[in-house]
Amino acid sequence: MWSYTLRRVLVTIPTVWIVTTVCYLLLHMTPGGPFDGERKVSPEVLANLQAKYHLDLPLWKQYLYYLNSLLHGDLGASFRYADWSVNDLVAHALPVSAAIGGSAILISLLIGVLLGTIAALRQNSIIDYLVMLVGNMGSAFPSFIIGPVLVLIFSMTLHWLPSGGWDDFAVSYMVLPVALLVFINVATIGRVMRGSLIEVLNSNFIRTARAKGLPLRTIVLRHALKPALMPVVTLLGPLAISSITSAVVTESIFSLPGLGKLIVNGASNRDYTLVLGLVVLVTVITVLFNLLVDLAYALLDPKIRY
Amino acid sequence: MTNKQSLKAIAGAVALALASGSVFAANIPAGVKLAAKQELVRSNGSEPESLDPMVVEGVPANIITHDLFEALTATDNDGKVQPGVAESWKQTNPTTWVFKLRKNAKWSDGNIVTADDFVYGIRRLVDPKLAAPYAGTFGIFFENGADIVAGKKPNSAIGVKALDKFTLEVKTAFPVSYLPELMSNAQLGPAPKAVIDKYGKDWVKPGKMVSNGPYVLKDWQVNSKVVIEKNAQYWDAKNVQLTKVSFLPIEDQNADNKLYLSGQTDMTYEIPPGTFAKLKSEMPKDLKNNTILGLRYYGLNNKDPLMKDIRVRKALSMVVDRDLLASKITADGQQPAYSVMVNGVHGAKPSTYDWAKWPMAKRVEEAKKLLAQAGVKPGTAIKLSYNTSDYHKKMAIFVASEWKTKLGLNTTMDNTEFKVFLKKRHDGDYQIARNGWLADYNDATTFLALVQCGNTQNDNFNCNKKAEELINQGNATTDAAKRTELLTQATKVVMDDYPMIPVLQYTLPRLVKPYVGGYSLKNTADRYRSKYLYIIQH
Repeated sequence: MWSYTLRRVLVTIPTVWIVTTVCYLLLHMTPGGPFDGERKVSPEVLANLQAKYHLDLPLWKQYLYYLNSLLHGDLGASFRYADWSVNDLVAHALPVSAAIGGSAILISLLIGVLLGTIAALRQNSIIDYLVMLVGNMGSAFPSFIIGPVLVLIFSMTLHWLPSGGWDDFAVSYMVLPVALLVFINVATIGRVMRGSLIEVLNSNFIRTARAKGLPLRTIVLRHALKPALMPVVTLLGPLAISSITSAVVTESIFSLPGLGKLIVNGASNRDYTLVLGLVVLVTVITVLFNLLVDLAYALLDPKIRY
Repeated sequence: MTNKQSLKAIAGAVALALASGSVFAANIPAGVKLAAKQELVRSNGSEPESLDPMVVEGVPANIITHDLFEALTATDNDGKVQPGVAESWKQTNPTTWVFKLRKNAKWSDGNIVTADDFVYGIRRLVDPKLAAPYAGTFGIFFENGADIVAGKKPNSAIGVKALDKFTLEVKTAFPVSYLPELMSNAQLGPAPKAVIDKYGKDWVKPGKMVSNGPYVLKDWQVNSKVVIEKNAQYWDAKNVQLTKVSFLPIEDQNADNKLYLSGQTDMTYEIPPGTFAKLKSEMPKDLKNNTILGLRYYGLNNKDPLMKDIRVRKALSMVVDRDLLASKITADGQQPAYSVMVNGVHGAKPSTYDWAKWPMAKRVEEAKKLLAQAGVKPGTAIKLSYNTSDYHKKMAIFVASEWKTKLGLNTTMDNTEFKVFLKKRHDGDYQIARNGWLADYNDATTFLALVQCGNTQNDNFNCNKKAEELINQGNATTDAAKRTELLTQATKVVMDDYPMIPVLQYTLPRLVKPYVGGYSLKNTADRYRSKYLYIIQH
C-alpha cells in the first residue's frame, strides 16, 4: 500500500510538468498580451513592463525561468495584481473555495446517500418518485438559473441571507452558495446511490441474507450499504475537484473570492503566471483526490489490494 | 509671455487657490441631520490591480487610492480642483510652477508630508524599474520625463525639485496650463520612502501601508473587499464624516444590482444593461446619472484601402442616427456625439458637422452620392470589429443596420474576445472597430491624443498636419483663451477629415441610496472621494 501510494505521488511530477508545459505554450500562443488594454501603453513603458516580468526574454528562457521558480515553490508574480504574488492569491482564494466546496460535498454526501437509500428501499413508491424528481431537477436546471432563484427568494424577498459577497467565513454568506452546490451534487449522488443500492439488494449475497431471516435494517446497514457506496466514492473525486476548483458559475453568481473567479480573471487578463499557478494547483489536487478515492476503495472493498 | 500675461496667470492661479480653499471637506447643507453611524459600502467594479498610488491604472484602483493618498491638489465631488497638500500655487514662468505645501499635512504615522516626498513619488513614477503603466502618460509633462521613461536619463533628472521643506518647484516640458488639475492624480502624489524601503512591494499591505489621505488602509482581501478607515492624522480630519468605507469588487452588474437591492451596498458601480428605464421609473431617487468626460466611437482604420477615402469615411459617419442610438438602443441617458471632443472638457469646444442638423433623408442622399463618387457600390462588404459584450453587440447591430438600410453596405460582424480584439485594433488589423476613451484629466489634449499623428492612442492611424500645427501652437501659448481657440480649431480641422465616427458621450448611471449625501451630478471625472460623502439620518 505504501509503495503504491508513493508511486502514485511520484507520478504527479511528470503529470504536472506535462500539463504545465502544454498550458504554458497555449497561453503564449493566444493572441493578446497581459498589457494590452483599452488604453495602449506607450512602447517605452511596455518595454519596461516586459523587462520587469522577464517577457522580453526568448520563450524557452522564460519557460526555464518559470520552471526554476516552480521547483522552488514560487508560482511567480501576478501580472494583473501587481501587489500580490500568485502564491498570495492562491492562499487567499483556496480557503474560500475549500470552505464552500468542502461543506457542499459533505452535506451533499449525507443527504444524497440518505435520499438514494430511501429511494432504493421504497423503489417505485411515491417517495422514490419524489426523490428522483428532486434529483432530476438538480441535474436538469443549470446553476445559473437556480442560483439567482435562491437569491430572489432568500435575499430579495425574505431578506434572510446576503445575496452575495464574502465576510471572513461568516456562515450567512456561505449558506446560499453551499445550498446551490448541494442541490446540484445531491441529485447526482442520490441517483447513483439509488441505482447502486438497488443492484446490491438484488445480488446473491443479499438474497442469502434475506433467506437467513436477517432484518432489513441489518441487511442494509451491515451488508448492502458498504458495497453500494463504491460508485458514490468514485464520484467523490470529480465532485470534490469541480466543487473546489471549477465553481466558476457559483463564485460569479455570489461574487465569491475563490479560485473559480481567479481562473476566469487570470485567463481573461492573460495573467500567464496566475493561470499556470492555478493549473498546477488543480492538477495536484486532481491527482491527490484520485489517489484518495483509490485508497478509499481498498478500505471499502477487502478484495482490492494494491 | 508678456509681463501682463504672466501676472494674469499668476493672479488667476492664486485666486483659484484662495477661492477654492474655502471648501475643504463634506459640505453638509443646513438642516441635514447626520446618521450616528458613518459607514459606507461602495461597489467598486473590479479588484484594484494595485493600491500603490504610482502603479494604479484602472478606475477602481484610482477610486481607492484617491481616498488613501492626497496629491498637491485634489478634486471635490463636483470635479473642481481644490488645494490638496499644496495650499497655494503659482506659475512663475510658462514652464515653471511653484507649489506651497501646508505645514500640517501628515502621513498616517505622524510624520510631516514634505516637498521631498513629492520629489520621491514623481521620480518613482517615471523610474523604468517600477514600470508604472502611467509613467508614459504623466511623465511626458515634466522636464526630461520622456527621456527618463525611455531609460535615456536617470530619474533624478525629472523637473521636480524641493526648494525647501514646504516648497516644490515643478518644471514642465512645455507650457501646461492645466497643471494644477493634472497634479490631483494620485500617481503624481507623494510616496513614503522610508516605508517603501523597509517593506518593498509589501508596503501597500494592511498594517504596513502609511498614507497621507483622509483614510488609511484597514483590510484588503483580494476579490472580496478593501476596507479603509478615517485617518486621524489627516490635516482636514475634522471635516471628514465617513469613519469607515468598504469597497467591494463586484464585476457582474446583476450581482451588483442584487447586493444594492438587498441592502448590502449603498452604491452600485454601474447598472445592468437594459435596466435604466425600469430603474428610472421605479427608483427615481436612487438612480443617479451624470455625464462624464468619455467618448464612445467607431475607429476607422485610415490605412485600410477602402477607409483611406475620406468620402467613404464621411458617408459612414453621416448616416448613423446618434439620436436614435442614444434614445432607443443604448437608452441609458448617453448623449449623441459628433466630435472627438466632449461637452464639459476644458481647453477646447466640441466641433460639429453641418449635416448633423439635416433631415436624415438629406444625409442619406448626400452619403450615397459620396459613395458613388468613391466608386463604392451597394452590396460592398465592410467589416465591423467589436469585443464580446451585449452592450457593444447591440450598438454594432444598430450601426450595421444603418449602413445596410441606408447605404446598402453589407457589414460583417467580427466579434472577438476582449484581449484578441485589443491586439487586432492596436495592430491596425481591422477596418472599423469599436472604441472608447475616458479622460485622464480635464483638458482637451487627452481627447486630441486619439487623432494626433503618431500618438500611441491613435488607433485610427490618421494624420492631419494642419491640425498638428494648431495643437502645437495651442500648447505653446500661455494665453488660456487663445489656447482654447487654437485647440477648438484643431478639433474642427481634424474632425473634418473624418478619422473616426464619434457616436455617444458617456454617462454613468448608478444607484446611490438617497441617504448618501455629497454625491454630485456635476462630477465629470466620476471621481467621488469618500471625504466628501456622508450618511444622512434615515
